[in-house]
Amino acid sequence: MEIKKIMCCCGSGLGSSMLVRMNVEKVLKNHGMNDIEVMHSSVSDAVENAADLFVVGGDLEEFVDSLPNKIILDNIMDMGELEEKLGTKLGF
Amino acid sequence: MEKLFKKKNIYFVERVTDWEEAIRTAIEPLVRQGYCESRYIDGVFENTKKYGPYYVLCENLALIHAATNQGALETQMAVTVLKEPVRFKPDGFDVRILIGLVASDAKSHVDIMRAIGEIFSNSETVEKLLATTSQDVVYDIFANSNDVA
Repeated sequence: MEIKKIMCCCGSGLGSSMLVRMNVEKVLKNHGMNDIEVMHSSVSDAVENAADLFVVGGDLEEFVDSLPNKIILDNIMDMGELEEKLGTKLGF
Repeated sequence: MEKLFKKKNIYFVERVTDWEEAIRTAIEPLVRQGYCESRYIDGVFENTKKYGPYYVLCENLALIHAATNQGALETQMAVTVLKEPVRFKPDGFDVRILIGLVASDAKSHVDIMRAIGEIFSNSETVEKLLATTSQDVVYDIFANSNDVA
């Protein structure tokens, strides 16, 4: 499935989700992928069809159980982990 | 950055008795100064019950905040550096830096988040933060990491 929209989620939709969103945008930019929309939101907004790919921290894994396409980050501050896991999904 | 973060809102505290006191310590200055209602603190506790300590982002950092609709009034942050670490769950990270954050919308704190991302992805900068008891040093670290100040 083509990924056009990535949603980064956290408990409040303000803190770590925004940090992760900025990191996702950085990684995408480095790979010249400028046509993917990235947003941040509360994990309660993470429902199927809200985005093509969801990115959450490991502590919220149980809340995105039902979503088909997601990345679970062990360390949300780790750019290396994000780059690797995004690469697997996006093919870089 | 004078707008989102004020030097007077950098505090050095010896210890807190538990994670609940850590939350109150981090947010109370922002309540006192009118950046959020007192129920904002209740919001953090409610959310913690639901999601666990979602604000512990990495070792040494808790970015303590509730959601905008839980009593946020105006975007602002406060920093408390603890001498003794606190844990928000038994197997969680040791935390010595409490950042209390109020965000009145989803975007206005973007510069704060950029600074936090920059500071905590660099272990040398974190060491500097942990070693100082000077408001000026802490303030300059945030100011130099972004145009928050």
